Amino acid sequence: MQDSHGRSVGDAAHPMLFMSISFAAFTLLLTSCSVDIPLRPEAQGEGEGGQATSSSIVCIIHGDGDYRYHDADGNEVTADEEALAKAKRVAERNPQAEVFIFHQKPRRHFLFIFPRRDGEFYYYRNGQLIANDLYWRGQGQSHFAPEVELRRRFPGTNQSGKATIFLYFGHEIPESDGVRYDASYPERTFAVHDLARGLGGFMPDSARFDLLVLSTCFGGTPHTIGALAPFARTIIASPGNLHLSYFDFHSLERLDLGLADGDVPAFAGRFAQRSFDRLTRDLQTDVSVAVYDADRVQKFLLSVQYMYDRTLTSLTTHSYTAESERCDCADLPAFVLPTMTEGVDIFYRPARFGRSKGKQNHSGWECWRERDERSAGSQSTETIPR
Amino acid sequence: MKSRTVFGSIVMMLVLALPANGQLQKYFSDAAKKVKATENASEKRIILNESFQAVSKALDKVQSFALIPENDRVGIDRFKATLREKQDELAGLNGFARVSDEQLNAFSDYVVQDTEQAEAVITISLVTLLLIIIVILLLT
Repeated sequence: MQDSHGRSVGDAAHPMLFMSISFAAFTLLLTSCSVDIPLRPEAQGEGEGGQATSSSIVCIIHGDGDYRYHDADGNEVTADEEALAKAKRVAERNPQAEVFIFHQKPRRHFLFIFPRRDGEFYYYRNGQLIANDLYWRGQGQSHFAPEVELRRRFPGTNQSGKATIFLYFGHEIPESDGVRYDASYPERTFAVHDLARGLGGFMPDSARFDLLVLSTCFGGTPHTIGALAPFARTIIASPGNLHLSYFDFHSLERLDLGLADGDVPAFAGRFAQRSFDRLTRDLQTDVSVAVYDADRVQKFLLSVQYMYDRTLTSLTTHSYTAESERCDCADLPAFVLPTMTEGVDIFYRPARFGRSKGKQNHSGWECWRERDERSAGSQSTETIPR
Repeated sequence: MKSRTVFGSIVMMLVLALPANGQLQKYFSDAAKKVKATENASEKRIILNESFQAVSKALDKVQSFALIPENDRVGIDRFKATLREKQDELAGLNGFARVSDEQLNAFSDYVVQDTEQAEAVITISLVTLLLIIIVILLLT
């Protein structure tokens, strides 16, 4: 069969068919970017089919960076994916909890042009996945605006009487400046006060989380703990290095048993101890895990706030890394105050090698000091405090 | 020939561009695997020493490039200093107690872990890091 121009109809149909298939494939691809799972009826509220929950966990996994490390067997680990797997496991193994997981992923484009959604959200209740959705995380000034909005979609989240826990996995959060924290949004800043503001969004009406776990490097500084203390009663963080997936999350499974007595500080101590045990087994570098009682550390924080902030300002004015280095606040005489140990439980083991291997204690607080270039590579381990 | 070299360089850069940060870690991780694979302590020391020297040479080479920004030069200097300390500790120089034969496997893990953690404070840009990796590959 031929048309008036002598071409076969089949020939004419081919481009049409090709375009239709391409369009269908393109549409399919775009829709496949979304993995919306329809809300189950129980997602509408606890009183309408869903069982009651005794704890509520919000988990932010910042996976927008190069988060790879090698385990002792030489296997490369993608840390944010591992953290996500752990968070899902916690969610599935908590029959009396609701768990909100936000995975912030690198921004990618389809065909180098069309941006793809760069956040993925999971909502679990009573161990069941209730909703799973992709979202845009790069909109608006607030870093957690999309996450807070997703959180509010679920009405069955009355916090009264529940143990509330916030988990943050990511790189070290800058104490000031915060440029280029997000690899996909280098023009946006993210610093400790942004995290604090985000916490406020998740817990309106000045309520505080019972427990905040900061799975980042150098979370245990006076500035960071001071900024987060208004939003959490107990904080677990590391004053030293800590990969974002390094904490042991087994303690968070079966919270109905682990937190049956409602004693969150005691639970935090067990969590820290277990993480410390695992880390000291696997790592040759120094390990430090601290539990901060957000109210009891206030005296110390108030005493050192001016000094610490002045140091931060000085570091920002000059160059953070060229002229400064981290150190235990206890190595700086001005910070050694009677209140220094109040409200802090520290689990510490020095590195098995290197200059700090002789250091036996850590105050639980990490500070900055000017770098002494003369110390590099020229003195004994005994004469160089870290 | 020239076009093949250019093509090879482009392919190499594309391969390396994505996980540039991880490549340096991988280099030390591979060295740690070799250390653990051999029973001979002298060989373990040679493997570790050669890995330090290769990376140090690459750092020197890259640092000599005129276009390297000042910030990266500072980062490279610091990284070289940490490598020098590890070499000293391995050999027992400059006040360090020599790493014992029994501890060499653990020391190789320490090198990997410390390099991974050092990335948080060493602000070497991705492009410079990429150059370092390429030079290491060319030198070894």
